[in-house]
Amino acid sequence: MGRFIIIGERIHCISPVIREAMNTMNPEPILARAKEQLDAGATYIDVNIGPAESNGPELMTWAVKLLQENFNNVPLALDTANKAAIEAGIAVYNRDKGKPIVNSADAGDRLSYVDLAAANDAIVIALCSKGAVPGSLDEIMGFCQELLEHGMMLGMEPTDMWFDPLFLVAKGMQDKQQQILDAIKGFAEMGLNSTGGLSNVSNGMPKELRPIMDSAMLAMSMANGLTSAIVNPCDRRLIETMKSCDILKDNYMYADSYLDL
Amino acid sequence: MPFKLTPQPFKAAIKEVEVGCGAKAIKLGGEKTFPFYSFDAEMPNAPKVGVEISDLGFENEVAGIKDFYGDVTNVVEMAKKAAAMEGADFVVLRLESADPNGVNKSVDECAELAKAVADAIDAPLAIMGCKNDEKDGELLVKVSEVLEGKNAMILSAKEANYKTIGASAGMAYGQKVGAESAVDINLAKQLNVLLTQLGVKGETVVMNLGTAAAGYGYEYVASTLDRTKAAALGQNDDMLQMPIITPISTETYGVKEAIASEDDMPEWGSQETRAIDMEVVTAAACLASGSNAVILRHPASVATVSTMIKELM
Repeated sequence: MGRFIIIGERIHCISPVIREAMNTMNPEPILARAKEQLDAGATYIDVNIGPAESNGPELMTWAVKLLQENFNNVPLALDTANKAAIEAGIAVYNRDKGKPIVNSADAGDRLSYVDLAAANDAIVIALCSKGAVPGSLDEIMGFCQELLEHGMMLGMEPTDMWFDPLFLVAKGMQDKQQQILDAIKGFAEMGLNSTGGLSNVSNGMPKELRPIMDSAMLAMSMANGLTSAIVNPCDRRLIETMKSCDILKDNYMYADSYLDL
Repeated sequence: MPFKLTPQPFKAAIKEVEVGCGAKAIKLGGEKTFPFYSFDAEMPNAPKVGVEISDLGFENEVAGIKDFYGDVTNVVEMAKKAAAMEGADFVVLRLESADPNGVNKSVDECAELAKAVADAIDAPLAIMGCKNDEKDGELLVKVSEVLEGKNAMILSAKEANYKTIGASAGMAYGQKVGAESAVDINLAKQLNVLLTQLGVKGETVVMNLGTAAAGYGYEYVASTLDRTKAAALGQNDDMLQMPIITPISTETYGVKEAIASEDDMPEWGSQETRAIDMEVVTAAACLASGSNAVILRHPASVATVSTMIKELM
């Protein structure tokens, strides 16, 4: 297996600074956030422009060009409900460092995002849900199967579909956590890639506890076969955990300076 | 069902490192496959063979080596003969006389000799120190300086002295740096990380991962070479993508199979044949596991190994 892939989540229109930068097409705050995430160990950068109903294609085109021109064609995850914006972004996307990721499809209303990825030779994040929290492991694996068959019918490589088990908040949904780990293991046993918004697990916890809980979930998820996560790479404890797990899984050769690499 | 050949080159590649100048310059590495997997992809550069000479001459060598150099006692003349040896791609000058526990020649005197050799031959040149880390730390810095413009290979920087040798050979004077570890893949990677953090470019580093003569723990060498190439190509680990150079003769001429005389071991047969066999067998095994260059001493070994490489390419 290759090294674990971090998709940096910090270019998100929920952040006031980023929303303002997107509204005014001001490069500086976006470039600064991309740089800090890449320096910290992100491979992909997620670009969440929100619904962007009025100017989606224009905004995504601008963001893709801006980030790839400034960071040596950094690979990107294009994250918006606006499908035209994703297509416009892919049209100007440079694939030297990896295919674009469509973020995201699900097995319900957003199934057509798989079609979008297939038509554009992109990777797709496939959320194993139909809008609600899946009730059981069988339900998650059933959605996985539906998504996989849909993608393969459209000619997609199974490895270009990254399955998301839907990470859930531990505070209040403790009883669901094992089910998520089992789903990850199920994906891995089928030889599939996986990803997801892992830091959901620590939602609502005191700030100082979140890196600890996220790191524990990452280690357990990687042990079960998770291949990627959408996280804040500036969380040092999390990245150190990821790099250490990559060594223990023999994804990467150990050297004393492995945390610097 | 008919067999369908599906080439499977890796996406990653071994870095290509050039040594020497002009028409005789050599390139090490560049491949996207395991060694000699020509059914997956061509190796752009055949592995190379270096001929080792010592500034202490050939007094203790087997007859075939002495005969090759004949009456020549001048090191510069020896280097010219080595460069002209059949199958030789580059010359390796060992500055053994610098050893403080031996002749203890001064750094300046050794550097002057290295310069004279470099000026006398157009084949690429590699310089080996005297195996005393402290002395080599000074010696190889000075040698790097006087050989500026020759694009020589400096063997080697180790954990103990990589800063001075890396900064001079790899940065100030534009040579290629050998990074030496002793059959320890984690240390090999660490040394590349440290050299890179110092500012030495990955494209100017070759790795000497160490070796052992066949029969002397060679299995661990094979697994280290194999795992290095597997990580470099399969995991795209750019801290292990430097080409590998393996000095063979410095190991094999230290084991009893090569040095015990026929008088002492009549049942083993000719000492010279044994010495050549140890060199050839160890070199062939290293090349099969991924060495991009080997360093040998005996003319018969050089001819045999270079023929083997040509046949396998």
